[in-house]
Amino acid sequence: MKLKYYILLLLLFCTTVLFAQGVKFTASVNKTEVGTTEQFEVTFTINSNGERFVPPNFNGFLIVSGPNVSQSMTVINGASSSSSGYSYDLVPVKEGIYTIGPATIVVNGKQLSTSPIKIKVVKGASAAQANAARQQQQQQQQVQGQQGIVAGHSKDINRDLFIRADVNKTNAYIGEQLTLSYRLYTRVALVGSELEKMSDQNGFYSQEIKSANNPTAVQWRIETIKGIKYNVTEIKQNILFPERAGNITIDPMIMDFIVRETVPSADPFDNFFGGGSYNDVKYKIKSSPVVIHVKPLPESGKPASFSGAVGRFSVTTSVDKTDLKANEPLNYKITLKGKGNLKLLKPMAPEFPLDFDKYDPKVTDTITDNENGESGTRVYTYLLIPRHGGKFNIDPIKFSYYDLATGRYVSQQTKGFTINVAKGATENNVTSIGADKQDVKLLNKDIRYIKTDGSDISKDDEGFYGSGLYYFLLLLGPLAFAGALVFGKVYEMNNSDAVKVKSRKAGKIAAKHLASAKAQLTANNKPVFYENVFKGLYGYLSDKLNIAAADLNREKIATELKARQLDEPTINELLETLDLCDMARFAPVSGISEQEVFEKAKNMINNIEDKI
Amino acid sequence: MLKRLIYLLLLIVAPLLAFSNDAGPAMFKKGNNLYQKANYKDAAAAYQKMVDDGYQSAGLYFNLGNAYYKTGDIAPALLYYEKAHRLSPGDEDIRVNIQFANSKTTDKIEAVPEFFITKWWTGFILAFPASTLAVFSVLLFIGASGLLILYRFSGAVIVKKISFYSAILLLLPGIGTIFISGRQAAYFDAHHDGIIFNSSVNVKNAPSGTAKNGFVLHEGTKVSILDKNASWIKIKLANGNEGWVGAADVREI
Repeated sequence: MKLKYYILLLLLFCTTVLFAQGVKFTASVNKTEVGTTEQFEVTFTINSNGERFVPPNFNGFLIVSGPNVSQSMTVINGASSSSSGYSYDLVPVKEGIYTIGPATIVVNGKQLSTSPIKIKVVKGASAAQANAARQQQQQQQQVQGQQGIVAGHSKDINRDLFIRADVNKTNAYIGEQLTLSYRLYTRVALVGSELEKMSDQNGFYSQEIKSANNPTAVQWRIETIKGIKYNVTEIKQNILFPERAGNITIDPMIMDFIVRETVPSADPFDNFFGGGSYNDVKYKIKSSPVVIHVKPLPESGKPASFSGAVGRFSVTTSVDKTDLKANEPLNYKITLKGKGNLKLLKPMAPEFPLDFDKYDPKVTDTITDNENGESGTRVYTYLLIPRHGGKFNIDPIKFSYYDLATGRYVSQQTKGFTINVAKGATENNVTSIGADKQDVKLLNKDIRYIKTDGSDISKDDEGFYGSGLYYFLLLLGPLAFAGALVFGKVYEMNNSDAVKVKSRKAGKIAAKHLASAKAQLTANNKPVFYENVFKGLYGYLSDKLNIAAADLNREKIATELKARQLDEPTINELLETLDLCDMARFAPVSGISEQEVFEKAKNMINNIEDKI
Repeated sequence: MLKRLIYLLLLIVAPLLAFSNDAGPAMFKKGNNLYQKANYKDAAAAYQKMVDDGYQSAGLYFNLGNAYYKTGDIAPALLYYEKAHRLSPGDEDIRVNIQFANSKTTDKIEAVPEFFITKWWTGFILAFPASTLAVFSVLLFIGASGLLILYRFSGAVIVKKISFYSAILLLLPGIGTIFISGRQAAYFDAHHDGIIFNSSVNVKNAPSGTAKNGFVLHEGTKVSILDKNASWIKIKLANGNEGWVGAADVREI
């Protein structure tokens, strides 16, 4: 009996144990790694009837819907079991690793809780990228199939996934085009990618090359580097035109990639059949910086018309008609064709006749950018309207460029045109506007040329004006005039008295006679000599003493001389000399030589001149 | 009398021609050749050396200004153009080039419009260089004096009449040229101008470093100099603004 109770008691316990073992409260998610903006579901399941379900705090997630409660009941062999599920649809907000905490529920008065779940949130992938990733994955599988190399074991991602920045040349002239390509090399499965930082291309004019057939599709190809095959694609291709000289560094480009790494399953069979799970890992991939050595264009031989064109070009011009009427439009086209920095060319400034109205040119580009650089044609179309009749010339245009192949500047000249403009039906009198004319004038004009005449260069600080010489010369004229006035006055005063003038001139006349006498003396013509001396003395005394020639005799001379206080001996000597000369004219004299007589007469005149 | 006049003329003309064959003009020719070969830097150096050696003429200053203009030094270009303009105020080449150089300066200053009679009068007194006027006045005075002397000593009535009236005719323009050259000298005495030589100059409201900045001027701007002391110069702009700048920032024309 006792045993019976024991057995019963044991069985009773057993059922409780069975029952207790059966209650399970679990949490599960449909994925552990989600992208931002990607929905996932968290489900909390209990295989019993629970009450007071408390959901965890979903920090870092947004609840899209939930709790969605589901209940089910099954009865098997009379044993009924029920389960309830509480599910939430969540969307992560930010990248990172989050933990969904435990949820609690009370079953039969006992509180149960779930274990926390870790969720890794990565940056969300767009649908297009997801597609690309899928495509990529297929490719990857192909490679694997061909080669048998299984990617993903190597943790050295740098060897499996990298970006190369390739330039077709590292030395270039200013304006010379070069191609920069960013290529992605990968041997791993990529789930998603995102551009973090595009490289700065400071110092360059950059032109992106767009793939001709389908710009959005990613073109993959296989390339082998050191025996390892890579899937390669162009991320970005640019044509660069250096704008300044020097060593210009192109910064690296940074991209984020999500790589799906396979985690080998614990089950070797599973592994064998390609099973197993994977982890998505994010890597930041940087390309290496590139240095471009930019050289300035050579200065020697640079033509005046050069405006920065580098490459190889040809220029042509055309007009749609050469005969037209005034006020009719005329199209003038400049076509630049070639390879080089076409888009960077400055508009040309052709010279049109002033009587033509000129409008801004229409620029038509048919330029293709590809790996070989920029090439094509650029057409400038000028609309011209001649306003007056006549014959006008459109001058040829000079265009020059630097030819990289030959390393020289090449100048080209287009042909000019002669336009015959007939008088229009309604020729208006609009002349070209003054302002326009002025502009043109100033554009073409340079400063005046230097002066080549250096004759007026002086070292004076002051110059002629204000110098002493200036004042002296200025005063010279008036001074000369004043001097002349004074001179004239004195002259007139001296000449107003005839007697005084006579007496002043007496000495001169006497000297004349004596000079003549001297000439006779040397000729030894004695009578004439004495006559001259006599005349000289008499004439002198007549002028000096103001005695008329008729009154002139010894007595008169003596009285006049005495009246002028001449001393007695001089008077006597004078009279003796006069007598001697008078006599000597007719008869020879002795006792005195002619020379002595001459000296005597001379002394006499000198004496009288001194005293009177 | 005629002989004496010829001697006087020689006396006047000789000093004006005296410098035509010394070292200066040789250097001037060298500068011109360099300029012609577009070697503007060396041309400027050659002209500058002549100026530093004390040579001067409107042509020399003008060429030096041109050389500086071509090398892109606008401030010295303007300084020497203005110096040339002082020596030869009526020269059109100089005026045109001053306009060109001014168009390259930063500051655009609207000048207060001048009364038209003042403008004409200034143009009239500045039409010929003072040295030319001086030579004319000396020649006219000497000519007039000579004619007056002839009038004084001549016997014939007709000669007396002609010489007297022509002397008066010469004397009047003689006095006129002296007057104009005097006005010209007075004009330049009253108008002390300067060129800003620093790329950016703060114009102060008072002659002290701590004074407030009134306005900013840039290289090449022409200013009138009103007052000066050891380290400050009082300037006035064409639009009437006044202020003080450091003595090193302005060079007087």
